[in-house]
Amino acid sequence: MSLSKRSEVLVIVSVKGIKPYQSSAWYITIIFSSLVTLIIGTLLLGMYRQLMNEQELQTDKHLASEKVRYQKMALTLDKQSFARQVRTADPKTALIVWRRSLDLVGALSIIPDDMPMLPQTREFPILTAGPDKLHMLTGGLVNTRYGPVLIATRTDQLATLIDRFMNAAITALMLTIVITLALGYLFSKAILRRLIQYNRLSRLIEKGEYSTRLPVSWRQDEFDMLAGKFNQVLDTLENNLLAVRGATDNIAHDLRTPLSHLRIGLEQLPEKSAQELPEACAILTEKLDHCLATFDAMLSLTRIEEGQQTLELQDVNLKFLCEDLYEMAEAMAESNEQTLSLTTADDMQMTGDKYLLFQALFNLIDNAIKYADVGAKIEIVQRGREIQIRDNGPGIPDEEKGRVFDRLVRLDPSRHNQGTGLGLSLVKAIFARHNAKVVLMDNTPGLIVSVTFRD
Amino acid sequence: MKILLVEDDATTVDYVVKGFIEQGHNIETASDGHQGLLLATSMKYDLILLDRMLPQLDGLKLLAALRATGSQTPVLILSALSHVDERVKGLRAGGDDYMTKPFAFSELLVRAEKLMQRGLSQPIDTGLTVGNLMMELLTRKVTLDGHELMLQPKEFQLLKYLMEHPNQVISRTLLFEAVWDYHFDPRTNVIDVHIAKLRRKFEELGFGELIETVRGAGYRLRQGN
Repeated sequence: MSLSKRSEVLVIVSVKGIKPYQSSAWYITIIFSSLVTLIIGTLLLGMYRQLMNEQELQTDKHLASEKVRYQKMALTLDKQSFARQVRTADPKTALIVWRRSLDLVGALSIIPDDMPMLPQTREFPILTAGPDKLHMLTGGLVNTRYGPVLIATRTDQLATLIDRFMNAAITALMLTIVITLALGYLFSKAILRRLIQYNRLSRLIEKGEYSTRLPVSWRQDEFDMLAGKFNQVLDTLENNLLAVRGATDNIAHDLRTPLSHLRIGLEQLPEKSAQELPEACAILTEKLDHCLATFDAMLSLTRIEEGQQTLELQDVNLKFLCEDLYEMAEAMAESNEQTLSLTTADDMQMTGDKYLLFQALFNLIDNAIKYADVGAKIEIVQRGREIQIRDNGPGIPDEEKGRVFDRLVRLDPSRHNQGTGLGLSLVKAIFARHNAKVVLMDNTPGLIVSVTFRD
Repeated sequence: MKILLVEDDATTVDYVVKGFIEQGHNIETASDGHQGLLLATSMKYDLILLDRMLPQLDGLKLLAALRATGSQTPVLILSALSHVDERVKGLRAGGDDYMTKPFAFSELLVRAEKLMQRGLSQPIDTGLTVGNLMMELLTRKVTLDGHELMLQPKEFQLLKYLMEHPNQVISRTLLFEAVWDYHFDPRTNVIDVHIAKLRRKFEELGFGELIETVRGAGYRLRQGN
C-alpha cells in the first residue's frame, strides 16, 4: 500500500545504555579542552622563553656597560680612588669585586672559580644575611689595569617573578581544563537525558501508541526544532493511518455489497430460464464493472496524489473548458428537471492537464446535479482564474465540509447513491497537482465550490 | 481481414480468437514478444492487437521496433494498465488505439474494425442510411421515415456513430470518446441522458424502439424494418 512505501523504517539507535562519557558532546568537550590547553600552553611557553631571553639580554647589556665603565675608571683613576669607587658602588646597579693582591675589595667576599671573561657570563649562588639567604647572581670577569674585577648583578628577583607568573598561568590553565571538562560532562548528560526521553517515546510509538508526541520546550533550541518536526511527521502519519483505516472499512463496505450481490446472482443463474439468462448476465456484468471502476478510481487517485502520474501539460483556456463542461452537463441537468447556466467572463489561458481538469470540474458539476433537488438551479461561473460551481440544493453543513474530500466518504451514510465515493478525493488531488485552491462556501441555500488557479 | 494477436494470457487469447473467428476474421497469435515481432515484420496484417506486458519483449518495445521498420500496420494496445498517462505512452509509442483490460469483446470489435477500415481506400460517404433513418453528412440533415429531425450537435455525433455501426452493441465509453474529446470514465449517466433525448425525438415519430439499451454493455441501433 502507499503508506508502507512512504514511511521510511524508523531506525532509533539505542541511547539508553550510553554513559555521558560515550556521548558525542563529551568527545567534543575533550577535543575542545585539549585544543585550548595546547594553545594556551604553547602561548605560555613562548612567553616564558621570550621573557627569559629578554632578561638575559638586559643582564648582558647591563654588565657590558658596567665593564666599559670600570675599564675607563681603571685607566683614569689611581688605585686608591679605584678601590673607593669599587667599595662604594651601588649594589642595586652592580656588585663589584676587585682582587687587590690577596684580599678582595667590594660587595662580595668571594670570587668563584672559573668565572668566564665578559661578555661570557655565568650564574653563581651567594649567601647573604637577609631573609632570603640564597641569591643567584650572574656575572663575569673584566681585566682592568689593576687586575681582574668581577662584575655581577642579581637576576633572581626577575627569575622569581617569571616563575610566579608561570605558576599562576599553569594553575589557571589546569582550572580551565577542569571546569571545561566538568561542564562538558554535565552538558552531555543533559543532552543525553533528552535523547533518552526521545528514545523512550519513540519506543512507545513503535509499539503502536501513535498519539505520543515529543515534548517541546519554550527555548526553541535545535532539539525543540527536531521534536517539533518529528511531531509534525507523527501528525501526518497518524492522519494517514486513520484515513487508511477509514478507507479500508469503506472499501470493504463498498466492494462487499456488489460482490455479495454478484455471488447471489451467480448462484441463481442455473435456475434462470433461457429468456431470462441474458438480462441476468448483463446485470451481473454491470455490478462487476462497478467493482472494477472502484478499483481503477482508487489506483488512479493514488497515482495522482503521489505524483506518479505525469501531467500532460498544455495551454488550457478556462472559458472554453467551462463551455465544454456546460455542453456535456446541460442534458444531464435537463433530465433531472434542473437548469444549468453558464457565465464566462473572459479568455483565461493557463497551463495544466486539460483532461484531468475537465474530469475534476465535471465531477463537481455531476455532484451538484446528483445531490440538488428537482427544479434546482446550477451555475457554472468563470471569472478570471476562478471557476465556481453553484447550486441551490441542500448544501453541506459546515462541520462536514472538511470531510467531503476524504477518500470513500459519502455524506449519505447508507451509501445508496451510485458512485465510487472517490470522485471528490480525485477532484482534490487533481486541483492540488495544479496548485489550485478549492473552497466550499454556503450559497444559502446550497453550495458554492470555488476553484482558484494560481498565477 | 487478417489480424495478429500478441498476448500471453491464454484466457484472453481464447476469448479474443473465438470472437474474431465468429465475425469471419482470420486471426493468428503469438504468445511472446519475440515471436510477435517476428510475425509482425515477416507477414502482412491488417491489424495487430498488442498486449503491453509480454514475456521476453515488452509490448511498447515491440511496437517501437515495428515502427522503426517503417510498418504502418494499425496497432491496438491491450493493457491492464488503465491510467491516463499509460494510455498516452502507448499512443506516443506508435499505437493507434488503447484498450484497458478487462474489456467487452463488442467494444474491441468496434475499435478493431474502425482501425482496419482506415487502411482501406473507401469512397467518401456523403450520407448514411440505416433502415428508414437517413443522414446527410454535408448538410447535417437527418430524416426518419421521411420526417426531418432537429438534432443538437452532440446528438448528431452520437447518432452518426451509431449509424456507422448498425446492429452492433456500442459501449458508453466508445460513444463518450466519439462525441467528446476527453478520455475518462465519467461513471455517470451523461451518455444515457443524451441517448434518452435522441430516443424521445424518435418516439415522437413512433420509432422509440430504434435505439435499444443493452444492459451491462451499451446501446444498439437497430436496422429497422
